[in-house]
Amino acid sequence: MPLPEIRFEDLIEVHHDEIHRYLWRWALTSSGPDPEADAQDLTQETFLRAFNAFDRLRPGSNHRAWLYKIATNCARSAWRKAARVPTAPESVIDTLAEPSGSTPEQHVVDRGRDLILRRALAELPAKQQAAVTLRHLQGLDYPAIAAALECSEASARANVYQGLKKLRQSLDRPEEV
Amino acid sequence: MSQYQDRDQARWAENLRRALPDPSAEAAAKSKARVEAWFESTAPTISWQRWSTPIGPLFLAAGAEGLIRISYQDSQAAFLAELDRRARLVEDPQAMAPYRQQLADYFAGERDRFSLPLDLSRLTDFQKRVLTTIARIPAGAVWSYRQVAEAIGKPKAARAVGQALGSNPLPIILPCHRVIASDGSLGGYAGGLPIKRKLLKIEGAQLF
Repeated sequence: MPLPEIRFEDLIEVHHDEIHRYLWRWALTSSGPDPEADAQDLTQETFLRAFNAFDRLRPGSNHRAWLYKIATNCARSAWRKAARVPTAPESVIDTLAEPSGSTPEQHVVDRGRDLILRRALAELPAKQQAAVTLRHLQGLDYPAIAAALECSEASARANVYQGLKKLRQSLDRPEEV
Repeated sequence: MSQYQDRDQARWAENLRRALPDPSAEAAAKSKARVEAWFESTAPTISWQRWSTPIGPLFLAAGAEGLIRISYQDSQAAFLAELDRRARLVEDPQAMAPYRQQLADYFAGERDRFSLPLDLSRLTDFQKRVLTTIARIPAGAVWSYRQVAEAIGKPKAARAVGQALGSNPLPIILPCHRVIASDGSLGGYAGGLPIKRKLLKIEGAQLF
């Protein structure tokens, strides 16, 4: 007999917070005026879609990666890449970021860099944005990223690599932003 | 991965974390409360209880459509794992009272037919056919697996009939214990043969 599979209730209990964090990060790079409301709507949408598809989740599959796949699809359909510019009010992000740098000057520099990074992330192809976020902010390993993005592990690695490369370029040339 | 690459990756993770910080704890809690409220209003509810009976402990589970499961499982975790994984599970003996009442009458030898709503929606067509067929075997009588196979028009399917009976979600009420081997031996039973024998004795079946 296969091991008892996770119950939907437990899926919410165990994974809600990280899925919400992930969608919040998408919302921060989108052009919506209220990233908190967007993240909440998208999180609800993700669990609703998961509920409807739950019976088709194969025993033994990685349900965490499966949830990330649904969340990624929700985010992508909500924010088609047309002219995505991060305009999340700075105040929202400001209150969350840990105080950075030792001097006010350093703080201004850091905030400028953060804005450039968010813009650069928003400008990446959706798959690269997802791959970089999953790897470096959500802490998924490559097999899980591959499952979430429905691609090979090699392609998951390539997407993270390409995405980071473009982010690096945008930080090297801030004057173009 | 080289030490340089390790440091480089760590620096990138740090930059990204600063640019895309975690949401506030309040925002996360609000979102979770919303998902939980939606789940409570959407998911089917299954009530269940563990019940001690003259034939030993039973687990019972019922939903809005009727009784879903009677189980001889020893372990509560194993019993709960058998139920619809999308459902909310609520331990609720009160909700099980009508089912308990008829079963208690039956164990006391005061009832030989059940009149209860049953939820068979998760069964295959073949299981339904087999189980509705054996539901017609009267108390006190026994059929062989082969007789059941013949009754559903598949005389060669005695083995498949045995399997369908083995996965009967509602033993006692759908009386798979009234089906025995054609040589007169008891065959199998999910609750074990001593219980099968006890049930047949309650019903006054003539064996051997």
